[in-house]
Amino acid sequence: MRNPLNRRLPRELKSEFGKYLVIFLLLSLTIGLISGFLVADGSMMTAYQESFEKYNIEDGHFETGHRMNRAQVRAVTDLGIRLYENFYTQWKLTNGSTMRIYALRDEVNKVCLMKGKLPEKKDEIAIDRMYADNNGLSVGDRISTSSRSWKITGLVALSDYSALFSDNSDAMFDSIRFGVGVVTKEAFDEFAAKKMTYSYAWKYREFPASEAEEKEVSEDLMEKINAEVALTDFVPRYQNQAIRFTGEDMSSDRAMMLILLYIIIGIMAFVFAITIGNTIMKEANVIGTLRASGYSRRELVKHYMTMPLLVTLAGALAGNIAGYTYFKDFCAAMYYGSYSLPTYVTIWNGEAFMLTTVVPVVMMLIINLLVLVRKLSLPPLRFIRRDIAGSGQGKALPLYKGIPFFARFRLRVILQNMTSYLMLFAGIAFASLLLLFGIALPVVLDHYQEELSGNMLSKYQYMLKGPLAGENKEQRIWSMLEMMAFYYSVETDNEDAEKFSIWPLKTLDDGFYKSEEINCYGVEPDSRYIKADIPEGGAYVSAGFSEKYGLRKGDTFTLKEAYEDKKYQFRVAGIYDYQGSLSLFMNRKELNELFGEEDDYFCGYFSDTEITDIDRKYIGTVIDLEALTKISRQLDRSMGGMMDLVNGFAVIIFLVVIYLLTKIIIEKNGRPISLAKILGYENHEIGGLYLVPTSLMVVLFFLVSIPLDYRVLVVLFRYMMIREMTGWMSLYVPQSVYLKVFLIGISSYLAVAVLEYRKIRKIPMEEILKDTE
Amino acid sequence: MFLSIHHLKKSFGNGESRVEVLKGIDLDVEKGSFCVLLGPSGSGKSTLLNIIGGIDRADSGDIVIDGDRMEEMKEKELTRYRRKHLGYIFQMYNLIPNLTVRENIEVGAYLSRSPLDVDELLHTLGLYDHRGKLPNQLSGGQQQRTAIGRAIVKNPDILLCDEPTGALDYQTSKEILHLIETVNRKYGNTVIMVTHNEAIGGMADLVVRMRDGLIRDRQTNEARIAAEDLEW
Repeated sequence: MRNPLNRRLPRELKSEFGKYLVIFLLLSLTIGLISGFLVADGSMMTAYQESFEKYNIEDGHFETGHRMNRAQVRAVTDLGIRLYENFYTQWKLTNGSTMRIYALRDEVNKVCLMKGKLPEKKDEIAIDRMYADNNGLSVGDRISTSSRSWKITGLVALSDYSALFSDNSDAMFDSIRFGVGVVTKEAFDEFAAKKMTYSYAWKYREFPASEAEEKEVSEDLMEKINAEVALTDFVPRYQNQAIRFTGEDMSSDRAMMLILLYIIIGIMAFVFAITIGNTIMKEANVIGTLRASGYSRRELVKHYMTMPLLVTLAGALAGNIAGYTYFKDFCAAMYYGSYSLPTYVTIWNGEAFMLTTVVPVVMMLIINLLVLVRKLSLPPLRFIRRDIAGSGQGKALPLYKGIPFFARFRLRVILQNMTSYLMLFAGIAFASLLLLFGIALPVVLDHYQEELSGNMLSKYQYMLKGPLAGENKEQRIWSMLEMMAFYYSVETDNEDAEKFSIWPLKTLDDGFYKSEEINCYGVEPDSRYIKADIPEGGAYVSAGFSEKYGLRKGDTFTLKEAYEDKKYQFRVAGIYDYQGSLSLFMNRKELNELFGEEDDYFCGYFSDTEITDIDRKYIGTVIDLEALTKISRQLDRSMGGMMDLVNGFAVIIFLVVIYLLTKIIIEKNGRPISLAKILGYENHEIGGLYLVPTSLMVVLFFLVSIPLDYRVLVVLFRYMMIREMTGWMSLYVPQSVYLKVFLIGISSYLAVAVLEYRKIRKIPMEEILKDTE
Repeated sequence: MFLSIHHLKKSFGNGESRVEVLKGIDLDVEKGSFCVLLGPSGSGKSTLLNIIGGIDRADSGDIVIDGDRMEEMKEKELTRYRRKHLGYIFQMYNLIPNLTVRENIEVGAYLSRSPLDVDELLHTLGLYDHRGKLPNQLSGGQQQRTAIGRAIVKNPDILLCDEPTGALDYQTSKEILHLIETVNRKYGNTVIMVTHNEAIGGMADLVVRMRDGLIRDRQTNEARIAAEDLEW
């Protein structure tokens, strides 16, 4: 005979349809999103990893000031590598962005055609798909500079640019203002040599066996190449953000999504556990009777476990279906919105099924099992006597008689429902954290941009591009002549201009902090742009540098040369209020001396007005606001859309958790509410007794959890900035953000409170007379 | 003897608040007999019933049922014992609110390898026409009849009844008593009923009067009065 108790299940489902529906929806939505994400992430990760072989991605590249001669090429290839010319030229387009153009590649860093066709004529170009999306360009459109234009024949993904970093030292890639494209070899050969950047990609003849060995080999390689030809850039693949960032970011996203899933499942499991606890309380005498009649504890545990497990299983299955159909494309679109990934094929992901279906069901099983076993361990008699609460239940907490009756009553309701309120607090704290993050991030990005625009070192920073020192005797003489011409030509009559020298150094890679570039500025002692009284032997560090590395006045820190092991130690003389980059400021003379240059050596200008009397060929880069706000622009582009999703999700969690727990509290008190009605209490009075305590607790929980969430956010944000990004952005959360979180949370509660008030009104007076169970 | 109780003691609480509820009970009940435990509130009769039912434990003394010693039984064995031998009827019915009358009875039937025919029992209980109703659609008497059905459907050796008419009116109480009497005669179960209604003692084979945790009197009736002839 089948257990007749099972027949309760469909009826339980019907009578508690609202409760199970919201749990089912939240679970299927969460699991769907996470499953879709994991499938998309797994499939794209596979496509990304396979792309290394499929598109023969370089093992590294380096750049030289001049094209290497045959002897140099031979000497370099003798170092155990195969060398490929990967020259490019860079153009400022009329839409304000920069296009880096390569010749079509057929050996290394091959191109994945995603739409249209590859260029065949001289005025044709295939450009990066994501850059095209971000700039509203499609096949058939034209892109132009002031002097020429190309017709877009195809949209592509360049395998060495899955993240569009224009410079490896950039804090963030920029898929809006920076794009890459390929033209035919014939068209490429026509570009002027002066606009050419001589980039060489290499592949090891024998790839190093481990990451450590790869690092060692590449450092050795750098030194040896530098001995043959002066390097202007050297980027082994493991350091190349344009190649590596995507894979690393996808892995960290995955971890965060799984944490999100398990927190929600955990909250839901505890909500179920409280619901079950409430049911057990309600059905105590029935349970006692069943136990007295011979039903075993195991049979009852099984019975009360069935519904949570069925709902979780149904939610997981529905979620997986939604994940593989809708959410997968949604998540893939998010990745395609951030990265220039090649095409992918959906791969059945057994691990995703395990993580989003088996693990949640097991979590639900374990949590509920523990709660049920504990609750049902009491002897049958205690159930029959309804004596099943904790040991403290027997003694009422004494409350001061002077407290008005209603207030005492509400306090009793709060004390009676402490477990439910604890779960409510956990739910509110978690959802508030999501909401705080979702609302704060755009504000942080805006604030960063605003702060930078009002806090730049100068409106323009000109980085001069000097001639490179030659390696052999003949070259050295030529270089000296070039150098003299350079120094003569880079003087300016602009009165706003102020000289500075600059050296890029790197922080040490200590496992936690990734090695990143620090700009060491040498500035005038009485600089009009760097207003700091820099003492001899000391350095001011930018606020961003100080915040990220926890540097305080008096601390010492070590930096190293980018391509050498030479290290330098500095002492913090003060913090300079500047967030634009990680920098340190020293007296120019002192810094020049440190790097073995003459006292009057300089390589750039600060200026609040544009400098027009220096030959453009000696100006390497101009750092303006646009260049500095790259990080916030890209984060806004990559994560802006996702923040709406996070906010929506947070509101759903608010609604579900508050609804379920408030419902439990009202249901638990169904009989007293019925009795109160018989005694003559009005509905609004009963609402005041049973809803006001929850309202007060909800307000209290928001007031407590928002500051707590801020603390957590500070840690998470700091971790994100340290582990995921170079550079620094301060976490800025104005009062208005807290207010928004509070108001959205309270509005969610009010919506639920209206529903619960209606529920109170519907509780019949006969309940206490009729239903004695 | 089917049920033998020897010098059973039970107390609640500790120290000064310790109350000795059973102070040494000795009782023998024959198989198939109808035994009524009478006594005022606090006399210990419900505690005795609960100990016999295996849902409470004695501090000392023995209970032997059909050769099995209860004090030696562990939790699992007690569950098996209840499952195999006992049917329980409470004053407050304790029906499962979202199961129908028939299903509530099936809850009992499920526990037995050879349960009684549920339809026949529904007819016997006068509940056949109400078999599809939920407990809250029934009168108190109908709910108690359902509870009796649930208890006896597995044809237990012992039917324990704790104030089964305590919440019912006179006429309904007599109907319920008649039903229990019928069950006892028809199926030969041993019935142990706790009540404070002296009149009910008339329908029993054995009447045990308790006060302050002790048996003060035991009376064997030569002839039982039919439930319908009881007056109080």
